[in-house]
Amino acid sequence: MVNDPYPGQCGHYIDTTGDGICDLSQITSSTVDSTSNDQIDTNNEVADGNQDPNNGNTTIDSGNDPDGGFLGDGDNYFIIPVSLLLISGYLFTYYLFKKGILKRNKHKRIWNLLLTAGYLGSSGTGMLMILFINLGIRTALNPSLIFWHVELSILMVISTLIHIHIHRKSFKNMFRVLFSFKATGTKNEDA
Amino acid sequence: MSYEVLTLSLPFIGGYLLTYSLYKFKIIKKVLHINIWNFIIGLTFLIGGGAGFLLLIFLELGMITPINHVLMYWHVEVGISLTLITIFHIHCYWRSTKKMFIPAKRRVKS
Repeated sequence: MVNDPYPGQCGHYIDTTGDGICDLSQITSSTVDSTSNDQIDTNNEVADGNQDPNNGNTTIDSGNDPDGGFLGDGDNYFIIPVSLLLISGYLFTYYLFKKGILKRNKHKRIWNLLLTAGYLGSSGTGMLMILFINLGIRTALNPSLIFWHVELSILMVISTLIHIHIHRKSFKNMFRVLFSFKATGTKNEDA
Repeated sequence: MSYEVLTLSLPFIGGYLLTYSLYKFKIIKKVLHINIWNFIIGLTFLIGGGAGFLLLIFLELGMITPINHVLMYWHVEVGISLTLITIFHIHCYWRSTKKMFIPAKRRVKS
């Protein structure tokens, strides 16, 4: 593969020169001198969409990626470990709350703070990525930005489900208020 | 591909101002105003999060399809709306939010 642009086809993207092209795919001048034209043609064929024999992935021309490479390669996201950690954390604080060791307010506060952190982090990194895409900025920061966007989104999603569980009475009441259109007279829990 | 930030935000800002005004002028109850926006935040969360989750599954499986870009577009647009509606949600529950960040002792002093 020659001159592979961000995010790279093989999942081993590295760019120490900051030119937006994977260092591993760049041909040095000495290599070009010693390589025959036939070899370069063969490499270009691989880069243009044929199967890459080294990584087993189907390669496409991501140089024209309209999302500025933010679709990523989906290699190293810790979806299951982070989810399990959060769910077990919730079960633990819920157990402490049920046993009377943790006050209801503190239990709610912990999960509201985590939810806020998830929303702030996820939307913050998302907004930065939109800015980068709209302005056509490609930096070495992009891969870590998408990584943290995904991780914080997992925190956001799990905490939202926990938030719904904590406020399940209000959640049920929402459907009663909206779809039966009857004023139930019950005071909203947090309003 | 560039993303629309303002175009999709304006109807939500207008909608929130409308239901808030209706509640302030006592045309609708506060509980209805809050529940309308709770329902909208839930819906945008489901759509935006669902699209994001599908994208993640596609990427994990190494599936690069033409749908990815459409999914990505709507994931971003709905995500922008979700950010905005989250601000409305915080506004609706402002008292609880303040309690969350400011300890009870400090609230009593001030």
